[in-house]
Amino acid sequence: MADYITTLLLAFTSIVIINNLVFTKFLGTCPYLGVSGRIDMAFGMGMAVTFVITLAGTLTWLVDHYILQNPALAQYGLGVTNYICYILIIAGAVQLVEMYLRKFFPSLYESFGIFLPLITTNCAILGLCIFLNLWGTEDLIKAIVLSFGAGIGFTMAICIMAGIRENLALADVPKALRGAPITLITAGLLTLAFMGFAGMIK
Amino acid sequence: MILMNIIDLWNNSWPAGAIILGLGLLFSIVLLIASIKLKVEVDPKIEQVRAALPGIDCGACGFAGCNSYAKAIVANPQLIGKCAPGGADCSAKIAQVLNLQVSGGGHAKRPIVHCRSHSADRTFYAKYDGIPSCTAANAVANVQACKWGCLGFGDCVRACKFDALHVVDGLSTVDYEKCTGCSACAKACPRNLIEMVPFSQENMMTVACKSKENGKTTKSACKVGCIGCGICAKQDSELFTVENNLSRMDYVKYQPSEKTQAAMDKCPTGVIVYRGKTAPLPRPAKE
Repeated sequence: MADYITTLLLAFTSIVIINNLVFTKFLGTCPYLGVSGRIDMAFGMGMAVTFVITLAGTLTWLVDHYILQNPALAQYGLGVTNYICYILIIAGAVQLVEMYLRKFFPSLYESFGIFLPLITTNCAILGLCIFLNLWGTEDLIKAIVLSFGAGIGFTMAICIMAGIRENLALADVPKALRGAPITLITAGLLTLAFMGFAGMIK
Repeated sequence: MILMNIIDLWNNSWPAGAIILGLGLLFSIVLLIASIKLKVEVDPKIEQVRAALPGIDCGACGFAGCNSYAKAIVANPQLIGKCAPGGADCSAKIAQVLNLQVSGGGHAKRPIVHCRSHSADRTFYAKYDGIPSCTAANAVANVQACKWGCLGFGDCVRACKFDALHVVDGLSTVDYEKCTGCSACAKACPRNLIEMVPFSQENMMTVACKSKENGKTTKSACKVGCIGCGICAKQDSELFTVENNLSRMDYVKYQPSEKTQAAMDKCPTGVIVYRGKTAPLPRPAKE
């Protein structure tokens, strides 16, 4: 049991810091650069992504594990349809959650309702679902932990970026580098910094 | 041969197709049920009020955007009339939707920058090379000799969503063709130089200075400042009042007449100018 908890904790730390989707896989770069202007917005976006990614990761793992990878159905070669199935599940689930929030939690819907449909098409979500499949995640709890960790990792990345950009707004940046260029350079340096963690967990 | 291939393809691929179709069908049914069960009724009046608003989300009303302002109006009709770009027409339309009557409203407000001094007209003690923003520059003593006038770093330009403000030779200048009167610039100016004025005429007359220093100090800082001599008030005592070495105009009473024109012509520093869509250029500073 203790071993199992250690595995889960390691899986969580590794996806947050070492295999961070933004820093090492370059997924979800669009909101990472687009919504990182202010810390509160970045945090809202991060929370919405965490929510959606946990939901999507869990659901797709269930479908993947019990239908697409089911040994009894192996003869039909259902594995080929996995990307399309993931997209379908993510889009459907997010739509459902959006309706649910709108009905029962209007204030929550107001605060991150606009992000939800945007996130549906975010590559970090689909990327995580594919990684769960690629890494051969063997049980449900680990899949949930990894999905949640991926969301937390994204939140961390986007909040760090927003903090830097809030300070950059007051810095004396050379004219040619203002705006997108300096943001991309910052993102690159951040990624390099996080490369230092590589190999910490085998 | 080709037929065989097609049959082969069909035999191999139908389960995959069935899975996708099945999942799609499942989700469409679930979403259909959800859309009926979880339907949220929206007050149709909110939609109508929103349609009456300009829809530019400028935030002049104090709400996040036209949408949230529309919701607030329906909940509390006293909030009608806060829409600066829409003006009186907009308020009347909203009142019609809500079966109410509005009174007053007045002329649409537009910003006037209370400074007419370009870089060449001002005195500088030293070159400011800090953060290029008015808010930062304003914190530095003696950034320019006049501590009341426009700094020209364009905080108002950045606040304007409609490209209606530009810094021309160190002076923030309003393009009244593009201005919607959202008052974002008035809030952005750290020296409170920009005032929202009811434009009863296409071109309004204004005393384009805010300096409350005595005449000598003002004159040493700027060639086109108000020295508080009171000549304008002698021409038209109804309209102009001089207080704290500064002449002020009552914009509500303003009507173009010979008296106002005389006040403008006799102003020794030429600080009384026209601002508006077709305003003539102010007369150049005397050397």
